[in-house]
Amino acid sequence: MINSLIRPVILDGDPGHDDAMAWMLAKASPALDILAVTSVAGNQTIEKTTYNARRVCALLGIHAPIAMGRPGPLLADPITAGNIHGQTGLDGPSLPEPDRPLSPMGAVELMAKTLRESSDPVTIIATGPETNVAALLLAHPELKPKIAQISVMGGGIAFGNWTPAAEFNILVDPEAADIVFSSGIPLMMSGLDVTEQALIFPEDFERIRAVGNQVSGVVADWLEFFFRFHRELGYEGAPVHDAVAVAALLRPELFTIQEMYVAIETAGEYCRGATVGDPHGRLGRAPNAKCVLGLDREGFVDLMAQAVKTYDGWEVRV
Amino acid sequence: MNRIPIWFDTDLGVDDAVALLSIGKLPNLDLRGISAVAGNAELCHTFENARNVCHLAGIHVPVYPGAEHPLFVSLHTAPLVHGENGVGDVELPPSPAPKETKPAWDALYEAAKAAEGELQVIAVGPLTNLAIAFGKYPELKTLLKRILIMGGAAKGGNVTPAAEFNIYGDPHAAQVVFRAGVPVVMCGLDVTMKAYLTPAEVEEIGSRGTPVCRFFRDSNQLALKFFERITAPGLCCHDTCPVLFLSCPELFSGEEAGVYVETRGTVTLGKTVTDLWSDKQFADRHVFVVLDVDRDRFAAKVRELLLSC
Repeated sequence: MINSLIRPVILDGDPGHDDAMAWMLAKASPALDILAVTSVAGNQTIEKTTYNARRVCALLGIHAPIAMGRPGPLLADPITAGNIHGQTGLDGPSLPEPDRPLSPMGAVELMAKTLRESSDPVTIIATGPETNVAALLLAHPELKPKIAQISVMGGGIAFGNWTPAAEFNILVDPEAADIVFSSGIPLMMSGLDVTEQALIFPEDFERIRAVGNQVSGVVADWLEFFFRFHRELGYEGAPVHDAVAVAALLRPELFTIQEMYVAIETAGEYCRGATVGDPHGRLGRAPNAKCVLGLDREGFVDLMAQAVKTYDGWEVRV
Repeated sequence: MNRIPIWFDTDLGVDDAVALLSIGKLPNLDLRGISAVAGNAELCHTFENARNVCHLAGIHVPVYPGAEHPLFVSLHTAPLVHGENGVGDVELPPSPAPKETKPAWDALYEAAKAAEGELQVIAVGPLTNLAIAFGKYPELKTLLKRILIMGGAAKGGNVTPAAEFNIYGDPHAAQVVFRAGVPVVMCGLDVTMKAYLTPAEVEEIGSRGTPVCRFFRDSNQLALKFFERITAPGLCCHDTCPVLFLSCPELFSGEEAGVYVETRGTVTLGKTVTDLWSDKQFADRHVFVVLDVDRDRFAAKVRELLLSC
């Protein structure tokens, strides 16, 4: 059983409230060994997501090297999500300042170095646009065997969010997503199908806050901030999309997972960035992704609350 | 009874035949004309099939020939479901009615004018004829009350993972129709895959021995095999959905949405993009997307109609 082993991982994201909560879950798990952290432009500009990545790592005690990604997508013009995550990209509670210098390497260089130096294949947890991962695959095809799996938060088999057909992370850099999805590397895709069900309800916020440590207070504040926007859209809770990409690695039994071929639409008037799933095999292509489609919501919330609890006794100056 | 004036645009096909036979027996529908289009089979077949099914069932309505080809994409027929001739390779007695030569778009326009804004179009094939009609007659959009289509899907597809056969068959024409501004009822795969008759129900109807019942069973043998192969629960009566939605709306449920057709995608060509579940919605939401049907009442109604033919 692979989830009983300690898995080396790279965290690649654009924090972002839900990225931060995904990283909280990753750091809390003894099953994951965080080797590197890379930032990507998405929820906010690369300067902001990088700063946020460093602050989140300081908060959580992630001591891995952190490198900054490209300023934007491979081909497309950048899109950000300031309406959801605020002007800083991680509005809400105060966070500690970065506690260590940024790596002099770029994100792709750091990823490559990390893969080369790891004796075991590394799992990449990509919770932003696929820009860095795609650039890595283009620049270092020889390192593909060193990637155990890529766990992606992105896409949606049945629907989109940023457009009717496309989810934000894939829409921001569809060409990068296409490179990743056609790479042949084992993929797990946590799309909107599951992440919009991964709701943390207001009563759960209080359960998390009541854990009573520094991280639990920050996470509860993040959830409240994140929920404010979603409540206006009619959500019953905060959909912590990115945390699913970690949770499904840690506890696959909490999730409904279906293997299928997924194609990325890079053209299209309405569908650019759509993830087209082929559950009935109509395209005659071998499956390329384990698609996470459903979950045991209460089990997921329990996992988040237990993760927060592991930060008891850990405190940093804010 | 207030009868609804309707036009039937069809690529007659085996499920189109059930839809047409149903129209003929629904007392609240007033069928003003039929136009044929290429789709399930070539136009030469779909035109004759529409004429011959009318003859078989005693439906005395003119059938007009429409488009032989989609606007821009190539024609792909569906012989695995409908046979080479469109009616499961069953030979129907030829209709003695004189052949209309007026093009479908002209006949439809005249019918729309004559109905003074009350005409509703039931379109169950690729939407080529309607697109040509909207192109030739800009005011047509003000003359039609509603367009009810069998086509598309809010989720998934059949001919590709993202697109349904009728829309994929002429995506550009479909986009013209969705953008025309006329209210649309979309009976896509979301509902039509639930609107089926079990093989036993098909056989029971066929055993009734009337020419229409025998034709129904015999023409659907290929389709039954096809649906078995794709593990559908029975014979999906796709095209009967918009007919019964108009006549017996209480059997169905759905939601208002914005819907547009992808015409420039590579893997999404022909997708009916709906905004039912996304945070972002289209500005114009004039489509009623039918999502569910009471299967048992639907099947009972189809049986009742076919047995009354």
